[in-house]
Amino acid sequence: MIKITNLEKIYRTEEVETVALNKLSIEVKGGEFVAVMGPSGCGKSTLLNILGLLDDPDAGSFVFNGIEVAKFNERKRADLRKHNIGFVFQSFNLIDELTVFENVELPLIYTGVKSADRKKRVEEVLDKVQIMHRRNHYPQQLSGGQQQRVAVARAVVNSPKLILADEPTGNLDSSNGNEVMQMLTDLNEQGTTIVMVTHSEHDARYSHRIIRMLDGQTVLENIMV
Amino acid sequence: MFKNYFKIAVRNLWKTKGYSFLNIAGLAIGIACAGLIFLWVEDEVTYDQYYSNNKNIYKVKNSQTYDGTTFVFDATPGPLAQSMKADIPGIKTTARTTWGNRVLFSLDDKTIYEQGLYVDSGFFSIFHFRFLKGNAANPFPQLHSLVVTSDMAEKFFGTTDIVGKTLKVNNEQDYVITAVIKDLPENASFNKVHWFSPFRIYGENNQWLQEWGNNGIITYVQTEDNTNSNSINKKLVGYVKSRNKEANSEMSIYPNSRWRLYDSFDKNGAEKEGRIRYVKLFSLIAWIILIIACINFMNLATARSEQRAREVGVRKVLGAVKSKLIFQFLAESLIMTFISALVAVVIMYFTLPAFNNLVEKHLSLNLLAPLHIISLLVIVLISGLLAGSYPAFYLSSFNPVMVLKKLKLKNGAGAGFIRKSLVVIQFSVSVILIICTVIIYQQIRHTKDRDLGFNKNNLVFMSLQGKLKDNFTPIKNELLQSGIAENASLSSSDELQYGSNSGDFSWDGKDPGKQLLVSMVFVSPEHLSTAGMKLKEGRDFYPNAAADSNNVIINETLAKAMKTKNVIGSIISWGDEGKYTVVGVVKDFIYNNVYTDPAPLIFFCNPGYANYLSIRFRPDSDIRTALSGMESIIKKYNPGYPVEYNFVDDVFDMYFKGETLVGKLAAVFAVLAIIISCLGLFGLSAFTAENRIKEIGIRKVLGASTGGLATLLSKDFIRMVFISCIIAFPIAWWVMHSWLQDFEYRVAISWWIFFGAGLLALLIALVTVSFQAVKAAIANPVKSLRME
Ligand SMILES: Nc1ncnc2c1ncn2[C@@H]1O[C@H](COP(=O)(O)OP(=O)(O)OP(=O)(O)O)[C@@H](O)[C@H]1O
Ligand SMILES: [Mg+2]
Repeated sequence: MIKITNLEKIYRTEEVETVALNKLSIEVKGGEFVAVMGPSGCGKSTLLNILGLLDDPDAGSFVFNGIEVAKFNERKRADLRKHNIGFVFQSFNLIDELTVFENVELPLIYTGVKSADRKKRVEEVLDKVQIMHRRNHYPQQLSGGQQQRVAVARAVVNSPKLILADEPTGNLDSSNGNEVMQMLTDLNEQGTTIVMVTHSEHDARYSHRIIRMLDGQTVLENIMV
Repeated sequence: MFKNYFKIAVRNLWKTKGYSFLNIAGLAIGIACAGLIFLWVEDEVTYDQYYSNNKNIYKVKNSQTYDGTTFVFDATPGPLAQSMKADIPGIKTTARTTWGNRVLFSLDDKTIYEQGLYVDSGFFSIFHFRFLKGNAANPFPQLHSLVVTSDMAEKFFGTTDIVGKTLKVNNEQDYVITAVIKDLPENASFNKVHWFSPFRIYGENNQWLQEWGNNGIITYVQTEDNTNSNSINKKLVGYVKSRNKEANSEMSIYPNSRWRLYDSFDKNGAEKEGRIRYVKLFSLIAWIILIIACINFMNLATARSEQRAREVGVRKVLGAVKSKLIFQFLAESLIMTFISALVAVVIMYFTLPAFNNLVEKHLSLNLLAPLHIISLLVIVLISGLLAGSYPAFYLSSFNPVMVLKKLKLKNGAGAGFIRKSLVVIQFSVSVILIICTVIIYQQIRHTKDRDLGFNKNNLVFMSLQGKLKDNFTPIKNELLQSGIAENASLSSSDELQYGSNSGDFSWDGKDPGKQLLVSMVFVSPEHLSTAGMKLKEGRDFYPNAAADSNNVIINETLAKAMKTKNVIGSIISWGDEGKYTVVGVVKDFIYNNVYTDPAPLIFFCNPGYANYLSIRFRPDSDIRTALSGMESIIKKYNPGYPVEYNFVDDVFDMYFKGETLVGKLAAVFAVLAIIISCLGLFGLSAFTAENRIKEIGIRKVLGASTGGLATLLSKDFIRMVFISCIIAFPIAWWVMHSWLQDFEYRVAISWWIFFGAGLLALLIALVTVSFQAVKAAIANPVKSLRME
């Protein structure tokens, strides 16, 4: 599903040049659950942003579902993104002005799903993450764990093929964290590909494979058994 | 999709009530102000558009050139109307009218003066009045016919069903009412005219009108459809000269559409802008006020960008493209503007009476009128897009990766600079308006305080009705004996409008090639002393008018123009009619145009031509008792006529109506611009304080004083006001300098006005900003630091 080769990303500020990704090559197959680990600043989030088509690489190739997307313009990237990719962030990133229901509904609006259809699908996923009873609450009225469940719901409502999660449990206690990890595992079992960045060895154990990074390069890959 | 934007917009409005209030209040004030100005503009540009055949209506203009200067006016010769209709193809109708006659009407014991016109019956084919009663095709079936407005009909009879009834005119002649017309709207000429009678009545009493060389009445023309006014004007070149060699008049027809807003001519006789200048100026100011209000919106929206950034980021991650976000933010600002417009309508309803009072009109806002509702929507659309455009492009361009990483947005350079520039624009406009207001008022004061060369206080004049002229001597004697008045006199025109003039004067040594236009006034011997004019040379007229019937007194300007050594005793000839000896020179006094130096003038000692009685009250007298004393004396000698009079100083004040209106409006605009700008500044300073709350906390912990912190937070704003002043000063100077060029008599622009305006703006800004700055500076630092 994903194949990147010799990917480079360099951040230039006035004083310094930071090589965030240095000739990185990775392959992720459809249906896989991959964890990315590594010390702070090694380029994990950068990698995820590129995989999620939020950012473009400076060099290298990125083939997504058999299409070379490294040189896509913003419009094309947005189009590809909204139909194929769901995101879960460490800091939830829900819109404060919208209710739980409306937050989850948003991706469907952007992909042009009809209103009646939207309602059905949002209710379905809210049911699945057991947050249906808070559908009319605003994010601030929820606990961290509940917010992250809403974020997961929002990520999956469009039934994306790929879910990218950047430290999804980073702001949660262990029991809430486990719940979220269980949800991701369930999704993966239903066929969704997942790439997850994490600092926690515990969480990484939910995955099939761990990619370890250092200074923008992969140093090791562990296959889980 | 739109529902979603709407929800976010409304919740955002609600969540940030304070800023929403500032935004909506500023925009609403701006829209209301612009709305009021546009109502005024609408009234002005639709002036005289009441008649259905507007495009075919013209007025004949007469231009005369003396010594290289062309004067353009409405007075035309009597025979012109009939003759041009017969001679020139393309003219459908012509009609003569008088300038306006105040005539006494009586019915039983009701006696009222009413303003009216003597008109040719063709007048009613040119101007399509609505006839409520009577026959429009034949309005004057007999000589003493009277067409009245429904207003006047109601006043006398309480009904409009009065065709065939009679009213007595000037206590002499019965006139038969032959038609009643609907009252004219306020913005139509003839609006103050309440009756019409056949021109023949006037013509018969004024035989001099028969001559081509005398200009005394107005001529209106209705052209055939598809007739070009140029073709008619070509035929009019030399038209009067071909009838009368002596005449110095060139005629042309002048379209109805320009009567109100132009009708102003330069020294070469070319049309220049009249009232349209103010229409344009005020429209421009209306838009500027709107822009100032929109700037508030842009500034507060971009200042709040950090709060909105995460939303933008999340939306982008979820697949929103830039154009969708732009659309969303524009929709938001349109919703905001729409709410402001609703508030503005309420504001307009409440302020319209005061505004009407100010501009002396009866404007009304009619939300059912398509023009008004469409204009309002256009204003909403334009200001909504204007206000929303910058925030929309700015906010939608955020990079989601940066935003979601909680990187501090590089809010500094770009956005900050634009925000500051916008504030600078707001304050520049405010400073310019303050300066203009002050200078306009100074100019009005300056002219009002001008030494007129006569004493306008305690002086009244009235037109000579009934037996007033015949009984002048006993009236005067009684006024003086009773101690009411100091003096009284007769004159052909009132003190401020010395109307008639002639180019037909000559004297020894006059360059025969140059004609000089000289004003003529016919007075009783007491006139100069009654008015309080001062003699420079020679003597005043003798009390016995007959003794001075061949003598004249001239003004200083004429004396200078004559260029003779001994003015006193020199002879002035008036055409072939007579020779007059100059016995006195009166010190220059101001008449007709308060802004220029007086034109040459001759006083003839001939009370026979008088139209006005002037009375000077004693300076120490109580005006109310003096007036009632005067009234009873005049009633005694002139029974059957109501006593109507005017104070010269009141009439004088009326001359400043136009300028006073401009001054008042400039003041209102200045105040509004400042209020709107301060609303914006208030919001902006709150944000600055909020954004720097952590810095303030740390500084405070490290020992900074409240005063020091307040200064730190205010410094930026003060600098902006300074820059505004630097931009505003030259612009204001240039605007006022060119405005003042219109007035020959004008104030010098003094530097302290600029200094004062700058200081005022600075103070206002300081008060606005320091409120937030002090609030932030005295807050408990522990709280703000723990928030992170
Ligand atoms: N916008 C940026 N400008 C400059 N440098 C950047 C930018 N974003 C990231 N970097 C740099 O790129 C490198 C990789 O950053 P990245 O965010 O991918 O790290 P990470 O592995 O996600 O770290 P963490 O575990 O702390 O989240 C870091 O050295 C970082 O300083
Ligand atoms: Mg990271």
